[in-house]
Order: sequence, then structure tokens, then C-alpha cells
Amino acid sequence: MTAVASHAHPPTSTGLDHRKIAIWAFIGSECMLFASLISTYLIYKGRSVVGPFPHEACNPPVCATHLNPILNIPVTSFSTFVLLMSSLAMVLALAAVENKGKPGYEGLLGSSKFWLISTAVLGITFLGCQAYEFTSFVHEGLTIRTNLFGSSFFTLTGFHGAHVTAGVLWLITLLAIDIKRGLGPKDALLVDIAALYWHFVDVVWIAIFTLVYLIK
Amino acid sequence: MATAAVSPSYARTSSGSPSGIWSWLTTVDHKRIGTLYLYTALAWFAVGGTEAVIMRMQLQGPNGRVVSAEVFNQLFTMHGTTMIFLVVMPLSAAFFNFLIPLQIGARDVAFPRLNAFSYWVYLFGSLFMNASWLVGMAPNGGWFGYAPLTTLPYSPGLNIDFWMLGLQILGVSSLAAAFNFITTIINMRAPGMNLMRMPMFTWMAFVVQFLLVLAFPVITIALVFLQFDRFFGTNFYTITQGADPLLWQHLFWIFGHPEVYILILPAFGLVSEILPTFSRKPIFGYPVMVYSGILIAFLGFGVWAHHMFAVGMGPIADSVFSMTTMLIAIPTGVKIFNWIFTMWGGNLRFTVAMKFAISLVALFTIGGISGVMHASPPADLQQTDTYFIVAHFHYVLVAGSLMGLWGGIYYYFPKITGRLLSEKIGNWHFWLTFIGVNLTFMPMHWSGLYGMPRRVYTYDAGQGWEIFNLMSSTGAYLQALAGIIFAYNIFRSRTHGEIAGNDPWEAPSLEWSIPSPPPDYNFETIPTVTSRYPLWDIKHPELTASVPHSRHGDERNDVSLGGKHVGAFHDHMAAGTPEGGLNPNATQASSKVSLKTAEELGIPMPYPTIKPLWVALFMTLMFASLLLIHKDKLPLAMAGVVTFATLMTGFLYAWLTAPLEPHHH
Amino acid sequence: MPFHPRPRRLAQLALTVALVAFLAACGQDHPDTIFHHRTDVNRDVDYLFKILIYAGTAVFIFVEAILVWTLFKFRARPGQPEPEHVHGNTTLEIAWTVIPLLILIVIGIPTVKTIFKQQAAARSDALQVEVIGHQWWWEFRYPQFTMRSASGKLDTVVTANELYLPLGKTVNFTLKSRDVIHSFWVPALAGKRDLIANHTNYLWYTPDSTTSDAFNGACVEYCGTSHANMRFKAFTVSQADFDSWVAHQEAPAEGAVAVGTPISPDSAAKAAAPRSPLGSQIDPNKNLAAGSTQAGPTVPSSGKAGVGVPPSPGAVNTQVTQAGFVAFPREKMPAYTVPSTPLPAALKFDDNVLASGNAANGAKLVATGMCIACHTVRGVPTMQATVGPNLTHVGSRTTIAAGLYPNDPRHLARWVKNANEMKAGVGMNTFGIGEYDPITKSTVKIGFTDAQIADIVAYLSSLK
Repeated sequence: MTAVASHAHPPTSTGLDHRKIAIWAFIGSECMLFASLISTYLIYKGRSVVGPFPHEACNPPVCATHLNPILNIPVTSFSTFVLLMSSLAMVLALAAVENKGKPGYEGLLGSSKFWLISTAVLGITFLGCQAYEFTSFVHEGLTIRTNLFGSSFFTLTGFHGAHVTAGVLWLITLLAIDIKRGLGPKDALLVDIAALYWHFVDVVWIAIFTLVYLIK
Repeated sequence: MATAAVSPSYARTSSGSPSGIWSWLTTVDHKRIGTLYLYTALAWFAVGGTEAVIMRMQLQGPNGRVVSAEVFNQLFTMHGTTMIFLVVMPLSAAFFNFLIPLQIGARDVAFPRLNAFSYWVYLFGSLFMNASWLVGMAPNGGWFGYAPLTTLPYSPGLNIDFWMLGLQILGVSSLAAAFNFITTIINMRAPGMNLMRMPMFTWMAFVVQFLLVLAFPVITIALVFLQFDRFFGTNFYTITQGADPLLWQHLFWIFGHPEVYILILPAFGLVSEILPTFSRKPIFGYPVMVYSGILIAFLGFGVWAHHMFAVGMGPIADSVFSMTTMLIAIPTGVKIFNWIFTMWGGNLRFTVAMKFAISLVALFTIGGISGVMHASPPADLQQTDTYFIVAHFHYVLVAGSLMGLWGGIYYYFPKITGRLLSEKIGNWHFWLTFIGVNLTFMPMHWSGLYGMPRRVYTYDAGQGWEIFNLMSSTGAYLQALAGIIFAYNIFRSRTHGEIAGNDPWEAPSLEWSIPSPPPDYNFETIPTVTSRYPLWDIKHPELTASVPHSRHGDERNDVSLGGKHVGAFHDHMAAGTPEGGLNPNATQASSKVSLKTAEELGIPMPYPTIKPLWVALFMTLMFASLLLIHKDKLPLAMAGVVTFATLMTGFLYAWLTAPLEPHHH
Repeated sequence: MPFHPRPRRLAQLALTVALVAFLAACGQDHPDTIFHHRTDVNRDVDYLFKILIYAGTAVFIFVEAILVWTLFKFRARPGQPEPEHVHGNTTLEIAWTVIPLLILIVIGIPTVKTIFKQQAAARSDALQVEVIGHQWWWEFRYPQFTMRSASGKLDTVVTANELYLPLGKTVNFTLKSRDVIHSFWVPALAGKRDLIANHTNYLWYTPDSTTSDAFNGACVEYCGTSHANMRFKAFTVSQADFDSWVAHQEAPAEGAVAVGTPISPDSAAKAAAPRSPLGSQIDPNKNLAAGSTQAGPTVPSSGKAGVGVPPSPGAVNTQVTQAGFVAFPREKMPAYTVPSTPLPAALKFDDNVLASGNAANGAKLVATGMCIACHTVRGVPTMQATVGPNLTHVGSRTTIAAGLYPNDPRHLARWVKNANEMKAGVGMNTFGIGEYDPITKSTVKIGFTDAQIADIVAYLSSLK
């Protein structure tokens, strides 16, 4: 490095890039955000005065007609699996960027573009499942205004869905850069922080899936 | 050694930084942003103070007729909201901005443009919230906004919309700033500035950023629920749907109690800078001061329900929260004692800054003690929601936070502007504040215990409350007078303030090694730090020689009680000015060395940019568009949201793709 | 002389003045103080408060003394050397961690004990009172005292903004809200407890003064525009007087006669006489006469004997014979319980017409007018609504508008004419012709003249 450059930017205290520290702080903050949403859902669990309910049927006189339990576990299990796989794809995308041009990273399976597309497509698939789920709930009579369950469920999963959407847009932006000028090892940080975010969103979904869908 | 220390004193510098309004709108310099925070917050202090004075006029005697019930409710809501979110937090942010990079030996914060964005969001958010006065619909649900009072059936007007949207906007500002400062402190410390050498202010600021990062999302969610309820008809706080009104209270106070420490810890940090300087002694028990600050913050997340003893949580919850609340008194008490023993054995110089710092120690103690009284639920049930608790938290937030911040302003004003505030006028400011604060808030203990509820716009005669209210009102008027004197002092210093020089107080930390005001690049050469008190090491080698300032070597077990006065009188001491304590050499420009510009030095500085301002503006307008939902103009509201979101994203894209600074590689 | 003597001298003067003012203030009467010991609960609180205030004062004096001494002793003097750089002291740090901890343990133990004692279930023979908060008034229901109206409807003794409690008997409040959160507080009797919808709270205590008393109560959780105007009165009376009051409350109001409900001429006497209300068959807890002789200081562990003396069995009649007590006698109301809220200047009413008010005519106006939309007068078939306060015995109450004004024709007339002008934000419409009604946002065209209002006032005042 030149003297001027060392004058310009002294090395960081931790050796990490600023953005990496910031994304961790951001994720800490997001933890509290989702903790609040999940707690609210759990507090309101079983307090709805009208159906539909998540795990129980609703019968007259509580509901005008018989309503089935509304959660569709098989579909959500599938979308959960999809999201988990997207995390794997994300890991491989980061590895491809970090090791671009190195042996073992040739061809489709060593291509960062392929893995970024895969991650994004898996994310979009997850969002598609969520859209399907929301639509079918509305058809079965559960909207965000129906009862406490509807309000807290749609808000929680909707917030998560919004985070996935933001992540997909982020991935597409990275992909655009990759296509335009190619992402190499010196860009690894850009992918790294996106990956951290993506994994976080994934982990949150595991918590949501367990607490909302699996535990009755 | 701090290599850049004790350079000659400079006159007001012209280090090539541009001036004019445009330069302020586009600045990304942490010092200028700090200055913007400072003056904006002081302006809102005048507004919030005026609101308080009107309330005290109304309550001066029984059955007052100055304002109506509705206006009074708006006044106390906006007084609380303004003082917390628009005054104390931004004043703290002013110091975070100005001081953190200087104290850790950095040239700027980690994300300079994000920093500008935080300020503009704060400015626009505060203007948005206060715009409610112009349409006569200022928020009226209390700063705590308890549901279901704030839900649509009970508050159909725009009042609550202004409040919740305003808080969301301000939350963005606080969070963005917190990410920035966390990164700055973790990652931008000068060589040798390990965590346990950081100045106490930076330490407390560091702790506060974590509180912000962890507490704000919770109120964000509580407000999102409220927004959804009001705008889209969800049921989070709808009684008929079986909602629990306590949900809001829990979420609000999980945020709200850490918020108390967000408000007080920066002032604690400032006092921990002021006391050692004017005692001529290092802070007593530095590691304990650090750990107690962290402990206060940590415990601060486990005490929220002590705001809710009256809601009926059951004896177990009451007992648990009572105990955790009492525990938090211990680290706080430790701080008080460490401050006192910092002064013990020192050469105390009673500057105005020192007086404010000392009164924080003296008066915060009162708030702390009444705090412990509130920690006992059976007693709290008699005290809470009366004027007793109004007295308690004003002793904490006015006699605590604000006194510390005023002290900080007197202490750092010369560094910020290059000129000193008048000590003589400052003394009037201090004493009127001191008397005013005590005269206002001390009698409230009595009016509360004698049964006067808080948040009442009127009270009946013959309850025995008249004399206390009259005293409180008189005290409020004195505080207002003190505020005017303070404003005059600041205004006067622009032309008449003495030139400060680098280090008017003979202080120990890095920020005093550079010119006042500092050049835009702060440090010509990044200093290398070898101790907690780099400047004192240079000035008083005879005192520090025997004290190992290494990471673990600071504890010495002998306390010199009574202070034996041996050794030579140091030539840097302010001889003959024990009260003012100013170094006579420093009060005049000893030389007119003009500083080199960043360009001449080859230091790349971030480009000025207007984009953060636009992003902040469009974000605020995007939130503001939501107000139209309640005017039954949903399509227009949505059109506004989409338009402004698009503009915001466009400018954000331009911001992110524009280079931060000239490339040197 | 030190620097800048003027502000400092000013400070000394101001502190002296403040001290004198304080001493003067503390010598005053403070009717609503929390330091009245008129219940078991308040004595426990006082015991705890004393520990807190003594410990707090000791800490305060200790800290401030060291501080002031330090400031005096170590102030800079010319020619002083640079002080020694002391960095800390582990022994001291441990000392000021451990000593406060010990003080907190001393406070904490009685705190937890008191919490569990006060939040235990109330004794089963307690008087039950349901407190329901409304924006901005209080509904007090006595579910143990029920009766059937002429139409066969089951009714409960219910009153508004006035609470009657028998001395020496534990009362258990069930706290509910119809709308936003309120908080129930009589400082002289006990600490506060919130009224929250979907979250019922309980609070019990035993008033044990030796004489009957009147206290001020208030809402202490901010509940909207007229939060400050949501007050009430609490009367603690002897068991006999309480029984008599209940008996009177169970009867239809005298004034209800005017509407033509067939009630015998001696209804007044009957009203006050002991009845055997349905309630005694329905509610085994009903405790009107015989049971009350056992009512003593209720909680065995109430700490100290205190100033309250349980009523001796002889003091309570096993059969209520004194028919006189229908309400707390107004002449015995202490001055501080009589509201002195000034009348709004803008609201004009011709007080001369009040003398010629015709109660019979007023009864017709009330029973056929808009009043029926919100109010109940038991015995009047058209008056069954429960939005506003129950008016069955409104004439016997001492205040109107939730403790804001005395209940007399002057105030009542203005209240009927324009309630919103009298109390900000109330839900009651304006009825005076020509007045502005903020609820309908128009000037009242179909309403009452001053003369008609005088009739209504005469009728309402007759509902003793």
C-alpha cells in the first residue's frame, strides 16, 4: 500500500469490514423485532373469541358454521424445506464467489450466478407457498381482521414474508452485479452480509414454523 | 503516547471547510451533524419547555382556566414526547456524534452518509409530529399512549396518528444512528485504544447504542400493531375481540424502561468526563464504572413491569419485578460513590460545567432514592400516577439527564465552536436552574403523597395542594428564565466568547489534543494511545510515571484521604483563577497557525451529499401520507405512499451507488 | 468572597424562602393524604413507607454529607499541587456494593410479605362491590343486594360516583372497565388498582375508622379528555347506617311515583324499612343484619392494632330500625368533599325559574324524552338504558358529573342544559334549546326550555 492510502484509512480495530459489524448489530435488532411478534402471537394463542382457529375446529355457537382447523402443515413443511434449501444454496453462492477461478469451482456447480439464482428462486417459491396459504385462509374465512389469531398470524408471517421479499430483491441486485461485472473474491463481503441476512431470515422461520405450526 | 498532543493553540480555524446553508444541508461531517443535532434539540427544548410552562400556569391554582382539558392533554402528551424523543435523546446524539470519533481517535463515523440520514430523519420526524399543532390535532394519548385509549373508537382524530407515525419515523433515526455508532466504536478505535482505555463517555455511549438496538424494535412492533388496528381494522387492542390491553403496556415498557437508561447513561458519561477534569484526578474505579454501566443496561431489560404494579399482575410477578428493580439501585449507587471519590482528594475547580455535574450527583441521588420507594409495590400503589412519581422521574431526567447534558454543553462548547461560554452568565444559568428544578419538583413529592393525581388539567380547591402547586409553578418560571439566559449565553458567545484554544480545561482525553473547532479530518495523524489519560501523561509525567495504565494495572488500593499537598505547583495550573479554572494561556489565541486542509494532507474525506436528506424527506412524507387514510382517502394515501417510496428508493439507489470519497488506490 | 457572588446569594435566599414555604405547607390540612390510616391495608403500606422513607433519608443524608464535605474540603486553592492520581480502591467498591444490598434486603423482605398478604383472596364473607369504570364516571354495583322490580326484572343495588362502605367489614372490589383503562383510588383508604377491560382485578380492605367519614376518590389512570373530572366520594358509615342505605337503595325512588307507578302512599316509610329482598334468597353471602355483628377487623394479621376500632357488637343493630339514613348527611360532609368547581361563564341559566319547577311535568319529560336512551330510573318502564349513570336515587347523591359539582338545582339545571360545557368531552347530549351540541355538531333546536329544565330538575331532585 502507498503511504497516502495508509494515511487514508487506518486498518479497522477488529480487522473486519464496517459493514460486517453493522449487519450483526442489525440482526440483533431484528431478533427483538421478531421476538416481539412471536411473543404476541403466543400471548394471543387461544384467546380468539371467534374462529377459525389454528389447530382446533370451530363449531356453533362460537362460529356460525363448522370451521376446520386452518393451518395446513404439509404445505408449510414443504415451504420450510424450500427455505432451508435456499440457505444451503446461499452458502454455496458465497463459496463460489470467494473461490472464483479456483480449482473445483468450474462449471455450473461452481458458478456464483447459478447459486444466487437458485437461492432467489427458492426464496420466491417460499413466497409463493405463503401467497397460496394466505389466499386459501382468506377463502376459508380468516383475514387479518377476523380475530386475534388472524391479526397476529398474518402480521407475524407477513413480516417474515416481507423480510424474505427484501432478501430476494437483495439477491437479485447481487445477481445483477454478478452478471454486469462478475463477483470475485474481493466482493465476497457483499455476498457475505447478504448471506448473513438470508440465514437469519431462515432461522427465524424455523422458530415460527415450530412455535406457530408444530406446537399445538 | 498521543503523538498529536499539546500542539499550539489555534484561533478559529479555516481548514478549508465550506460554509453556507448548502454546506450544512450536504454535510457528512460527524462534527457538523452533531452541531445540527445540538441546536435542533435546543430549539425543541424551548418548545417542550413552553409546553411545560403553560401547564404550570394552568395548575398554578385550583380550577385553572388557562387552557381547556383537551389542550392540556395535548400539552402533557407533547411535553413528554418532545422532551424524551426530541430533546434528551438528540442532545445525547449530538454528543455521540461530536465526541465518539474524537475520543477514540477516528476521522469520522463508520457510515458518514447514514449519519447525515439519521439527523435529517430526526429533523423531519420532529417537524412532522409538531405539525399536528398547526391542524389543532396534537397527540393527546400521553407519551405512553396506553391502548385501548389510543385505538380508533376512543381516539378517532388524527392526534394519535401523528404520534405513532412520528415515533416510527424517529425510531428509524435512532436505530440507524445506533448501528453506526456501534460499528464506529468497535471498529474505528485508534491504535492502542483498547476497550478499557476508552473514555467513560464513549463507554456509556457504547452501552446506550446496544440499548437502542434492542429496545426500539419492540416499540416499533407495538406501534405497528396500533397502526394496523387504526388503519386496517386488526384486533391487537380490540376489547370486543378478546384482546388484552396489557399487551401494549408490556411491549411499551420493555422498550420504555431501557429508554430511561438511554436517556440517563449519556449524561452519566458526560459527568464522568467533567468530574475528573475539574478534580484534576482520574475517574475513581474506572473498571467498576464501566461494569456498572453495562450492568444497569442489562438489568434495565428485566424491570419493565415495575411501571405496571397497578395493573394486577399477581403477587409473584410483582415480587420478581420489585426485586430486580431494587437490584438496579446497586450499580447506580456505585456510580454515585465513585463520582464522589473521584472528587475526594482532588483540586476541585467549580466551573459551570463542574457545578452542573456535581448537581447531577447530588440530585440524581434523590431520584434514585424515590425510585427505590417505587420499587416496593405496596408503597408504589399509593405513589404511582400521582405527582410523587412526576417528582421522581423529573429528578431523574431533569436533575439527572438534563443537568448532565447542560454540564456537557458548557464543557464541550469550546471544542464544538472554538469559543467559551461565559462563566459569569453561566453561573446565573446554573443557579436559576438549580433553584428552579428543586422548587418545581421537590414540592411535587408532597402534592403526590397528599393525593394529587397526575395528568389532571385541573384540581379542586381545599385539598391542601394549592401551596405545592404554586411553588412548582414558580419553579417552572425560574427554569424558563434560566433557559432564556442559557440561550443568551450561547448567542453571545458567537461574537464575545473567549477563544478556547485546544484545551481550555486541561483535560485528559484525545479530543483536547486537536484544535477547537477541530478540522474536518480531526487528527492530522491518527494518534497511538498508551493510556486512559493520554494528555495528562504528557502534561504530568511525574504523576503518571508510577501508575501503570495498562489494561489491568489501574487498581491501587490506597486512597489518600485528606489530600497531602506535596510536590511542585505545576506551571499549567490556572494560577489565580480557582473559580474559573481557565488556563490563562489558553483563553487567547496564542498563535494564528492556519491549519492544513485535508487535501493538502492527502486525507480522503467523504464527499458532501444531499441524497441522505432527500431519502429522509421522502421517507417522512411516505409515513405522512398514511394520515390520509383517516381522511377516508385511501387511494390518495396509497398513491402518496407509492410515490414517495419510489422517490425514496431512487435517491437511496443514487446514494448507494455514488462513491463515498475520492479513491486513492 | 468567591467569584460571582450574586447568583449564589440569590440561591441562598431562595432556599430559605422555599424552606419556610415548605414548613408552612406541611402545617396545612391534607384531607386526601395517603397517611390516613383508615384501613388495615393503609396501615401496612404506612409501615412499609416508613421503612422506605427512613432508609432513604439516611442514605440521602449520608451521600449528600460526604458530597458537600468533599466539595468544601477539596476545593482548589491557589498554590496547591496537582493531586495524587488515585485510580480506585477495591475495598471501597465492595463496601458500596454490599451495604446497599443489605439495605435493599431490609426493604425487600417486608415488601414481598406485604405483596402476598394484600393480594391474597379476600375473606369469603366480604362485602362485594363491583366497580365499573366509564369515560368519565364510576358505576358501583352491590351484587349481594338484589331485588325484583314490578316487571319481574332482577335488579341490583347500583349507584354512581358514590361509594358506601360499612365500617369494620372487609370490602372486596371487583374492578372492571367498559371502555379504556381507569384506575380506582381512595388515597385515604388504600393504594390504587387499574380497571381494565378483559382483565378483571380485585382489591380488598377493611375500613375501620371509629366514626363515619367522607373521602375523595379519583381516577388515576389517564383515560381521555375529562380524566381530571372523573372523581367520586367514598362514605364509610356504621353497619346499621349502611344497611339502612342499602334498604333505601333497593326500593324504587320516591320520585318515581310521579310517573304513575302504583305504589302505596307509605312507600317512603317502606323504602327505608327493612325488606326481605330477593337477594337474601339468591345470595348466601348476603350479609345484611345478623351477619354484620361478626364483622370485625377482618384480617387477623393486619400488623398493628392501629387506630381503627372494630365496632362492638352492641353498636350494630341486629335489626335495622333507624329508618332515617338514606344518604350521607350533607351537613356532615367535610368542606374538602364538597366540590367548588366554578360554573362555566358562557353557560347562562335563569335560576329564578327553578323555584317553579314541576316534578310531575319533569317526570313526563324525562320518561318520554331523550333521557331514556341512556339512563335507568328503576320503576319507570321506559327508563331502562345503562349507557349513563343509573338515576333511580340521583336526588340522594351529593354530587353530579362524577364529583365535579354539588348536586343542587343550580348545577343540575346547567348540566341538563349543556353537559359538555360543564364537563369537557362527556357523551351526554346538550338539551338546552339554542345551545351548541358538540356531539351532533349543531345548535339544539328540539330540546328543553329553561322552564322545562326546571321541571326536570325538580323531578330529578325528588328521586331521593
